[in-house]
Amino acid sequence: MGGGFRVLHLVRPFLAFLPEVQSADRKVPFREKVIYTVISLFIFLVCSQLPLYGIHSTTGADPFYWMRVILASNRGTVMELGITPIVTSGLVMQLLAGSKIIEVDNNVREDRALLNGAQKLLGIIIAIGEAVAYVLSGMYGSVNQLGVGNAILIIVQLCFAGIIVICLDELLQKGYGLGSGISLFIATNICENIIWKAFSPTTINSGRGAEFEGAVIALFHLLITRNDKVRALREAFYRQNLPNVTNLLATVLIFLIVIYFQGFRVVLPVRSKNARGQQGSYPIKLFYTSNMPIILQSALVSNLYFISQLMYRRYSGNFFVNLLGKWKESEYSGGQYVPVGGIAYYITAPSSLADMAANPFHALFYLVFMLSACALFSKTWIEVSGSSARDVAKQLKEQQMVMPGHREANLQKELNRYIPTAAAFGGMCIGALTVLADFMGAIGSGTGILLAVTIIYQYFETFEKERASELGFFGF
Amino acid sequence: MALTGPAPPRGSAAATANMRRRRTSSAGAGAGASGGAAGTMLQFYTDDAPGLKISPNVVLVMSIGFIAFVAVLHVMGKLYFVRKE
Repeated sequence: MGGGFRVLHLVRPFLAFLPEVQSADRKVPFREKVIYTVISLFIFLVCSQLPLYGIHSTTGADPFYWMRVILASNRGTVMELGITPIVTSGLVMQLLAGSKIIEVDNNVREDRALLNGAQKLLGIIIAIGEAVAYVLSGMYGSVNQLGVGNAILIIVQLCFAGIIVICLDELLQKGYGLGSGISLFIATNICENIIWKAFSPTTINSGRGAEFEGAVIALFHLLITRNDKVRALREAFYRQNLPNVTNLLATVLIFLIVIYFQGFRVVLPVRSKNARGQQGSYPIKLFYTSNMPIILQSALVSNLYFISQLMYRRYSGNFFVNLLGKWKESEYSGGQYVPVGGIAYYITAPSSLADMAANPFHALFYLVFMLSACALFSKTWIEVSGSSARDVAKQLKEQQMVMPGHREANLQKELNRYIPTAAAFGGMCIGALTVLADFMGAIGSGTGILLAVTIIYQYFETFEKERASELGFFGF
Repeated sequence: MALTGPAPPRGSAAATANMRRRRTSSAGAGAGASGGAAGTMLQFYTDDAPGLKISPNVVLVMSIGFIAFVAVLHVMGKLYFVRKE
């Protein structure tokens, strides 16, 4: 504990007011965990369908269109902010602590409590700030139209929803549920999207008669109603601007590939110094940083899109603004702006294989950008999050683990052979898979699918672990 | 460490050893491999901190209350406040 002024201490007066879920003082049984998880999920799903009270309209371009998928938010509903407040505050605090801007001694209890409180406080402040910004910027109609009372009501609803998400996430993380709230909500949102696109019973009339939106339903509908079965099949597989069967198959394929790659790992044998003969293993996975690189990459891209779109609407003549990105209203996805030039265009996935063939340079640039960005983010993330070779070596040393056949001082060097490579190469693989998913036109964008698969896989692992610990760990 | 952990205190050597074993593998997973999005982002959340203590059931009831409140607002809005203009 160093003396003097510390930024972290500013949080102390607020600490008493922050909601804090009690830690479980007993071991929560597996069944109960599942029940808590399901109820939380149910609350989240209801919230993401429940429209906000008092909004006037949600028409017009949605500047956060690109972020919705990774932030589990739904336009015009109570979950408008989704998990943005928590993720942003978590990211900011993590970066601040990692880069030693705010000093935290992880061994001091009070420091951890303060950091915890600071993060929550920041989350709530961000929720309030974003809610106010949304209302004032006229996303739901101008304040005059809404009336002051309704405007305040909207802000209150959004803030409270933010606090609820924070509490639910904490509830799940404190040992009452499985996994973390954030990943659960992201995965659910994406899976919901995929299921909807596959089985949606909504009909859309796009000039050739009413067609079903859902790919599978459309396939059967076309096969039954059309006389020419071959043309019906082709239509179901290759129709543009609505989800088709190829997209669905691509999604399934990507799921399988990612799960296959999850199993790739280097297992380092470790041995306990205290308990003789106690062998353990330290697996270093190929996807060492898991989905972190794509989260960071898409956060970067969506921020760039947001800024570029805003600037383009104001000053579309400016050379530098055009260099950043040119935008045009898309004819398909009602009123969305799509990039057609500048940097924003080149870092966007080509919309189809035909588009790729027409603009090979675009495809190449996109590929290079994704791979290098993911590798880079992955490498920086291990430093920031405390999972670099040095940190892991320290951790193992604290647990009195050594590698047989290596001196203790060599542990870091040995880990250094694997971890940075795994991080960079794993990040690149994640990037490549995202690109592949985008090129094949998988449903819900490459980023979304990769996120969903990695999260589901984590859940699967947690499930197995919970079940195993429930049964008892004897005789192994 | 193994004794202060949340595991049921079995006392037998086998249990402690297994505990440690599991701890290693979960440390490997949690440190960055499978923690992923949230595990690494919100590792501070796992600690106990002073604050307004609420039990998990209160959180659930609060959320459902909030949903009910918004739903009631919608109903009231439809019934009583007919929007001008």
